[in-house]
Amino acid sequence: MEHTTFSVGNEGRQVFWNAEYFELILFLFTAVALVIFAYGVYRRWQMWKAMGKPEIRTDNMGERIKILLRDGLLQLKTFKDIYPGIMHAFIFFGFFVLIFGAAFDATEFHITEPLGWAFLRGNFYLVFSLLMDLFGLLVLIGVLMALDRRYLQKPDRLGYRGKPDNKPDDAIVLLLIGGIIITGFIIEALRLYVTNPSWGHWSFVGWIISKAFVGIDHGTARILHKVMWWTHTFIALGFIAYIPYSRLLHIITTSANYFMSTLKPVGYVEPIADFENAESFGMGQLEDFTWKQIFDSDACTRCGRCQDGCPAYLTGKPLSPKKLVQDLKTYWLERAPKVMAAKKAAGPEGEPEIPEPEKAMVGEVIDLHELWACTNCMYCMEVCPASIEHVPKIVGMRQYKVLMEADFAPELQLTYRNMENNSNPWGIGAHMRADWAKDLGIKTLAEDGNVEYLYYVGCAGSFDDRGKKVAIAFAKILKAAGINFGILGTEEGCCGDSAMRGGNEYLYQTLAQMNIEAMNGYGVKKIITTCPHGYNALKKDYPHFGGNFEVYHHTEIIADLIAKGRINLKKPVDGVFTYHDSCFLGRYNQIYDQPRNVLKAVPGLKLTEMKNNHTKSFCCGAGGARMWMEEDIGERINDVRTDQAIEAKADHIAVGCPFCLTMMVDGIKDREMSEKMDAADIAEIVWKAMGIEEAQPEPEGESKEEEKGGEAAS
Amino acid sequence: MNIVALVKQVPDTEAQIRVKPDGSGIDDSGIKWVMNPYDEFGVEEALKLKEKAGGDVTIVSVGPARCVEAIRTALAMGADKGIHIDDPTLNNADAYTTANALAAAIKGIPYDVIFCGQRAIDDDSGQVGSILAELLDLPQLTIITKLDIEGTTAKAVKPIEGAQLLIESSLPCVITAQKGLNEPRYASLPGVMKAKKKPLEVKDAAALGITADAKAQVAKTTAPPSRPPGKIIDGADAAEKAAQVAKLLREEAKVI
Repeated sequence: MEHTTFSVGNEGRQVFWNAEYFELILFLFTAVALVIFAYGVYRRWQMWKAMGKPEIRTDNMGERIKILLRDGLLQLKTFKDIYPGIMHAFIFFGFFVLIFGAAFDATEFHITEPLGWAFLRGNFYLVFSLLMDLFGLLVLIGVLMALDRRYLQKPDRLGYRGKPDNKPDDAIVLLLIGGIIITGFIIEALRLYVTNPSWGHWSFVGWIISKAFVGIDHGTARILHKVMWWTHTFIALGFIAYIPYSRLLHIITTSANYFMSTLKPVGYVEPIADFENAESFGMGQLEDFTWKQIFDSDACTRCGRCQDGCPAYLTGKPLSPKKLVQDLKTYWLERAPKVMAAKKAAGPEGEPEIPEPEKAMVGEVIDLHELWACTNCMYCMEVCPASIEHVPKIVGMRQYKVLMEADFAPELQLTYRNMENNSNPWGIGAHMRADWAKDLGIKTLAEDGNVEYLYYVGCAGSFDDRGKKVAIAFAKILKAAGINFGILGTEEGCCGDSAMRGGNEYLYQTLAQMNIEAMNGYGVKKIITTCPHGYNALKKDYPHFGGNFEVYHHTEIIADLIAKGRINLKKPVDGVFTYHDSCFLGRYNQIYDQPRNVLKAVPGLKLTEMKNNHTKSFCCGAGGARMWMEEDIGERINDVRTDQAIEAKADHIAVGCPFCLTMMVDGIKDREMSEKMDAADIAEIVWKAMGIEEAQPEPEGESKEEEKGGEAAS
Repeated sequence: MNIVALVKQVPDTEAQIRVKPDGSGIDDSGIKWVMNPYDEFGVEEALKLKEKAGGDVTIVSVGPARCVEAIRTALAMGADKGIHIDDPTLNNADAYTTANALAAAIKGIPYDVIFCGQRAIDDDSGQVGSILAELLDLPQLTIITKLDIEGTTAKAVKPIEGAQLLIESSLPCVITAQKGLNEPRYASLPGVMKAKKKPLEVKDAAALGITADAKAQVAKTTAPPSRPPGKIIDGADAAEKAAQVAKLLREEAKVI
């Protein structure tokens, strides 16, 4: 091809300048790189298919494409953490632009120019050159940030308990990317040095570097250029070939994981459908997971965001969501080839003899202390930039331990027996469920089914001394607002959340069905709960079993009553309050604002935030059936959360969950702050601010408790 | 080894107990029935012995139709089969009649060791195990907190005031279980499902060739007296309150 002449007004550059006789060799090596790449992806594809139960993740394509564009192309999930977000964005967007640029070059050179149309000319070329240099520079900055972060800053999340979990490919990948950019700039600089176009400064990075070559004769520069060009090309081809064999695979797997994100409500765990005929329950082996649950682990980039806010990890328990996913991945990498070999040996018709696993997945690959440390707080899933679903795996493995092996903490066994015998985790006589409401004139649906709302009190509101006070305060608010509501009384049962999250799906479904039967029996349509665990179960899980209700949390109802002026908060409640987000209200149901709006409406009340709040809130430690279990490893989660409230200089911790209330009250006691601090439910605060009971000396609950204390002593 | 474990169905410890107006017993309605917790220790020990020595575990229970649930619970825990003695004449039977019925059922099956709870938490009589041992002419090891069976010898620990007795007995024998003997297992779900299909024989008094022959009768059931409410001491300060307490302890409670 003859040299095109470039000039001012017709700016451009000769693609593949100084690279004569390159084409055949380049194509050959490109083909080799692509074959290596394709083989790696094919091999991985076989491994993804080797194990796992079926699961459909290709429904609702529109939504899936939207998620892929949002989290993949626009990187919105990755951006949620600033430094790594920018770091990754520089590399990601930079590379994206550079690949498009290379594609432009190639298209022009191989397709359009031979047809007589060169489009990389003039102003378009100048802007193109500027952008290519700019984005190349961004990639380089991104790589330097990554190197700095991984090898100098060394944040704990890029390791486990202070020990970095760096692998050789972490460094190799960064060196490859950095190498591509640096050699790219050097060849650009050498070309500019030799050809010296008057618009050279548009390629500003190369132009600056070219100044360093002043004095070198053009012949040497051309040789240097040729060497650099081939170096650049080989690194780039090496990069492509290396993708399926390194962490670069996340380009494919993480994107695919976005596309295959769960479209189910937050916290969804697939209900066990057929107890009678199933041969096994829960996840005891990799084969018990769905293919997607296994695939998840291949999308993990070990970024450690999950670990950074995991209440179990941060209080010294062995669980790290990252480690859990990585351990499953390592185990899968061991098992998958064996399963594939067995299948191959058996042929398409035969029954493969899959070798018995050498170790138990639950207990050996995943330590039992890890498994049971999880509070199901959903932080990991909220922040995971690869959309990995940790919590359903944990619940599934718990199901295996509880349902199949009946091997779990004795205190949790007692809790389940209590739930079986008295339909509440405390094991208090079921006949006492409605005792709290005795003197309040609250009707049961059996007495009068014609109500707007069913107040589903839940076990804490019914049996726990402090929880009862919250139930009483909330019932009084509803009465004062003139809301027509009723309770199920002794027909109400435990919602079953702790059973479900603790792996006892059988007990959970039994309890859910009993409640649904009672609720449907009265034609219940709208339900209010004072416990986010019941709220979440009734709202999102009960529909699987035929319970379709409009479910509200009491903070939603109170916020609405205030907004509509149906209750009047006139009595100032002084003090600095901080609101502790319940996981099952916040991350599970995105209720962040209503409780805060209620608090803001209380006269005199000052609201402050703890270090962790909203989506990044820190669990109280009671979710995922942890409420009923001993916490004997590391620090107590509730104490660490209480420290955050102390740091925020709050005198009061406001909560919207009876579990959180217990945990915060205990945390305040543990930190010996009872004189200075307290914890209260939003309903208690609002009832106080309504000032209706002002004249009475003390809330009746107090004296009752003293009476009870007296009894116990006598 | 042929292992027998006896279970009784009793009201849950938290159930609300209401005495019938005529004092003839308690009102059954609304009560949640469970396996007697002491019998659970017996069943667990039976299962542990089976795991160690092999053989099978037969559950025997006396009571009305609802008792099937208690037997199924034991089967879900891992027992192999059940015998349910269900006869209206045996409902609310005294300890002797119950033991007699159990003995009649057990005589019909092979046995090397018989477990039962040291007492049932409903009537607290604590006699059935001992009477049964007498009727079968077997040694009895009662209120046992530790057990080791090797071959045909049972070594058991029985706590007594300030000491522990180490008792040795040959098999067969009757062992009554005390709290501390073990931690009863939680039934696995496959266990629960399998329990529904395990053999369960129902026998009445005629089939066992027995008649109710009560040696003791409950004359009357009454509720415990309700506790008087607690008293809150009023006073300006701690010293005044303490003086009040002292006065009340002396004059009202008459303890100092």
